[in-house]
Amino acid sequence: MTLAVYLPLVLPVLVALAARYAADRARPGAAVPALVAAAVLTAAATIWSLLLLTLTLFDDLPAMAALDGRLGMRLPEPVPDAVAVIAAVLLAVAMVRLERDMHLRRTMARRLRNAGPSAGGLVVADWSEPLAVAVPGRPGEILLTTGMLRLLDADERRAVLAHERAHLAHHHHRAMLLVGGAAAINPLLRPAREAVTYLVERWADEEAASGMGDRELVARAVARAALATAGHRAPAPALGVHGGVIVRRVRALQGPPPGAARWQMPLLAGVAVAALLLEATATVNFLAVLRAWQI
Amino acid sequence: MTEDEAGRRRARGELESEVMTALWSAAEPLTPAGVQAALGSGLAYNTVQTILSRLLEKELVRRGPADRGRGHVYWPAQDAAALAATRMRAALDERPDRRAVLQQFAATLGEDDAETLRAVLEERET
Repeated sequence: MTLAVYLPLVLPVLVALAARYAADRARPGAAVPALVAAAVLTAAATIWSLLLLTLTLFDDLPAMAALDGRLGMRLPEPVPDAVAVIAAVLLAVAMVRLERDMHLRRTMARRLRNAGPSAGGLVVADWSEPLAVAVPGRPGEILLTTGMLRLLDADERRAVLAHERAHLAHHHHRAMLLVGGAAAINPLLRPAREAVTYLVERWADEEAASGMGDRELVARAVARAALATAGHRAPAPALGVHGGVIVRRVRALQGPPPGAARWQMPLLAGVAVAALLLEATATVNFLAVLRAWQI
Repeated sequence: MTEDEAGRRRARGELESEVMTALWSAAEPLTPAGVQAALGSGLAYNTVQTILSRLLEKELVRRGPADRGRGHVYWPAQDAAALAATRMRAALDERPDRRAVLQQFAATLGEDDAETLRAVLEERET
């Protein structure tokens, strides 16, 4: 078999480049669906490629080998067995990681949903650590700590609520679930996951800003809440090289709202076509090998 | 249900949550007028009163007699919030990547970022 079966494995590089490009330029509402779809397609292509590579192991089955000997023909050796074994292992690892990722998200959301009685979809937790979290569900809920509330004035509190409601209204947890699953399957998609994580926050920021009619206010609320959490243990997720996520969000809010971008449809279409073409080539190759067996 | 009703219902829920945040960030129990002032969003007194009684029914707030004059003061039901905090902490503390799976308003910062943000905030306030 030719190199074609390996080609889909380079797709994530394309997606990662697109994600890096999109993060600061595109309108989040358009970039998120495009990146999520590209990541999911790529993850599917990854699985299909690994599956095809794994299936080539079966040319070593005794039955096949016996057939091979009887007919006095040499079966084609599509890929080295070592590669096929590695593919099988990678496939198994990908499945385990996917299951673990889904399980973590499900249980976490369920436990937080049971945190306490809600007032209009809001649960206030009496905890000094400043935290505001959107918990998906039907209906979704917003968890706020008293530590967060005490930091902010009335307008800033409304901005935080508007931000979290935007997460719930646009089902951002679904985008995160999909891109998180894709990155669990193929670790090369982590840049895409990071970009989507950043972009859903930007999306919610922008929505809060337009709902409140005040970009400055949302920027202030984000900055203030983030400063209060500085010094807590978790490291800031890195996105690219220039500055932390929060600083970029605040800077973006200080600028004009992002305009409509035209790049996302060509990007998505490009990645989809590339994935399908590469997969089709690999599949045709694989079928050719199958036919060779049967003759 | 018409779309209009759905819209009103959602708005009502949003008001409830705003009243809760106002009560929580106040240092002392608030009268309905106090809540109205804290919200600062031009809500009618009667609306605030209605929302407070609904929250009282849900046992999310407590009510007591006002110090002076007639009427009541309201404060958040601490035990509901403490329970929520315990459960939230238990869920979030379990794993190192706890925050990664949910949307958070503000993630943590590096020290350089903190400096940048402080500068940004000061810029604003002067």
